[in-house]
Amino acid sequence: MADFSLRSDQIDVEQIMKQIRTRIKEKRGVDYTDQEIRELASVKLERFLDPRAVRSDLLAAYRRQRPPVPLPSLPGPPENYAFEDVTIYESHRGPLRWIRKLLNPLLKLLFNPNPLIHVLNLQSKINDYTWQTMAAQFDRVGQRFVTRDELDTLNYEVLNNLVLELTKLGIENRNLRMRLESMGTRLDFDERRQRAFEGLAQFKPVAAPSAVPSQADGEDDDDGDGAEGAPGGAGDAGRPGKRRRRRRGRKRGPEGSPQGPQGQQAQPSAGSQQDRPASAPSSDIPNTPSGGGSDQQ
Amino acid sequence: MNLAVVVQRYGAEINGGAELHARYIAEHLARHHAVEVLTTCARDYVTWRNEWPSGTEQVNGVTVRRFPVSRERHPEDFAKHSERIFTLAHSVKEELAWLESEGPTSPALIKHLASSGSTYDYVLFFSARYYHAYHGWRAVPAKAVLVPTAERDAAMGVSIMAPMFRGVRALMYNSFEERAMIQAIAGNREVPGVVVGVGSDVPARTDPDRIRTQHGIAGPYVVYVGRIDENKGCKELFGHFERYLKQSGRDLTLVLVGTSIMDIPDHPRIRHLGFMGDADKFDVMAGARALIMPSYFESLSMVALEAWGVGRPVLANGRCDVLRGQCIRSNAGLYYESYPEFAATLHAIEANPSFNEALGRNGREYFRTHYTWPVIVQKYQDMFRQLDDENARGVSRTIEPLPGFFARRRRTLPPADEVLAQAPQGPVVPQRRQPPRHQGPSHGARDQQTPREQHGPRDQRTPREQHGSRDHRGRRGGGR
Repeated sequence: MADFSLRSDQIDVEQIMKQIRTRIKEKRGVDYTDQEIRELASVKLERFLDPRAVRSDLLAAYRRQRPPVPLPSLPGPPENYAFEDVTIYESHRGPLRWIRKLLNPLLKLLFNPNPLIHVLNLQSKINDYTWQTMAAQFDRVGQRFVTRDELDTLNYEVLNNLVLELTKLGIENRNLRMRLESMGTRLDFDERRQRAFEGLAQFKPVAAPSAVPSQADGEDDDDGDGAEGAPGGAGDAGRPGKRRRRRRGRKRGPEGSPQGPQGQQAQPSAGSQQDRPASAPSSDIPNTPSGGGSDQQ
Repeated sequence: MNLAVVVQRYGAEINGGAELHARYIAEHLARHHAVEVLTTCARDYVTWRNEWPSGTEQVNGVTVRRFPVSRERHPEDFAKHSERIFTLAHSVKEELAWLESEGPTSPALIKHLASSGSTYDYVLFFSARYYHAYHGWRAVPAKAVLVPTAERDAAMGVSIMAPMFRGVRALMYNSFEERAMIQAIAGNREVPGVVVGVGSDVPARTDPDRIRTQHGIAGPYVVYVGRIDENKGCKELFGHFERYLKQSGRDLTLVLVGTSIMDIPDHPRIRHLGFMGDADKFDVMAGARALIMPSYFESLSMVALEAWGVGRPVLANGRCDVLRGQCIRSNAGLYYESYPEFAATLHAIEANPSFNEALGRNGREYFRTHYTWPVIVQKYQDMFRQLDDENARGVSRTIEPLPGFFARRRRTLPPADEVLAQAPQGPVVPQRRQPPRHQGPSHGARDQQTPREQHGPRDQRTPREQHGSRDHRGRRGGGR
């Protein structure tokens, strides 16, 4: 705070405290450490970001919603059986197996076991197929989950960085805005000062009051001899008050040389001035408010 | 007029706030009236142990009558009672037990008031929260004038306090904040009351160079005067000040005046000068850039008033409503609630001589208008005159009876913390006068004497909730 002179009755402590607190509030963020920014990002984002657009508890909510869940392993299948055409007649007792084989024609006389054998055989194959398919699907889903978890971790990192960067940007934006306002204020001040100086500066034309008649003389000369009125003429050098004139749009000859051979020889330095664009100011022309001399050409 | 001043401790060497306040008032009123001080034999405010002999003695020309304390205070017992009263629903009987455990329990003093109260015209009770004030008021209700010296403390929310605030003849408040709090708690607006505070004998001339030479203090300094105690905010002050020096690189010293009951940082720019007499104290204050008051809880900071008296600005803890209100009303000090504010305000005060001097001038004017002894004594005289008029008109106060046997034991009273939380917070800000139309702005349009009660926006938590926990003596924060 700069030193300033005060009258006692000008002091309003409440107002001073308000100003001090406003300044502290504005200055905050300039020298935040990374740790402070992290804390701000997780606690009070709404200070810097639009709370309608970004949730301040985004990261915490993300962590809550996506806890890492381990994928359960698929329990193994029950033991499958192999059902062949002789399975229903099999026995670990040899005589019994012999009797069944002996009486098989009689059995087939009573009913046909072949469809039953066929269906059971098929069911066994279906069981194998189902299990293999399900295991394959489970593996695929498991792989998807693992990939998804890895992606979630990546998303979390991206979101975390995004929130941090947004916070930094918010702070930087505020700082830049303050700097811009400061620069704008300084610019306004400079402009006002410039205008004040311009107003104070006294205008002193190069042409002295005695030059007015000589300027009139010069115009008379131009009227008499246009070719000699070329700027930079030797006769002009000895007359400081004479307005120099330059012909606009003076065309060169078809060979590219000036029209008057006299001008080329007698005024070697004038050629460079004539080569300038018509709008280029001549350093020899005094900046007068009227400025009408050259227009007469 | 015969006056009695009743206070928990009394002695020339006692520098506690309310006790010193009582002594100053007694000594200055003694120039106009016959004043007798009724107090206990206790010197230590923690135990109330009888250390002075009972009987009568003269202290600085004032008659002092001492009565023994029948029961010393046991801090653990008091803390247990306080915990119950402040935080839980409780009964009137438990509140009375709490008051007795707080002390100083001196039935002899109360008995003397009951028997000899008629010999006094008025009895001034200092410190509303103690045993002697409550039971003394009940002994002589028709003559009781209370000087509450109340901080924003849960003790003020104890239900037996409200009938006392309504039943005394008059109240002499220390600050507008104190008055607002008590009126909100007790609803005693009809009881005559005036914000008085206390004066100080500020010397007309001071000699800061003498102290600088004596203690080898070079360069600018700020000063803290008072007990160097964590409960007074000194720890926070040390932290803030060291950080300020480190960050600002300023050539500034913190000078400490007072007895220390905590460790002081070993820092070349923190100087502890110890306890000082009044002359030295005023010289130190006069040479300082500012007085810093880091305390969270003050009913009236006499030191701040003295600093203003010698034309020095004050940098106060803004969490203390009273200090903040005084800074605003006087326009003679700034306040802080955090380190950035501390650094900004301290820099503003110590680095801008013109601003510093303007604040000091305001402080001197504020002190001269409100806190010189003629002003203080006149307020007491006016109050006595008003009470005399009431006596002539037959106006009297009645004591609200205590509940019956069973009602007294019913635990239906709300916790004192809750009662206190409902009282308004924040400084009492003077209402600005609107400038008259077409007549240009008005300068300094502040009603210093009777500000309208406008409480500034504050944190909804009570200061006690924000800072400090209950100490071993059953009080929280910076009380005793």
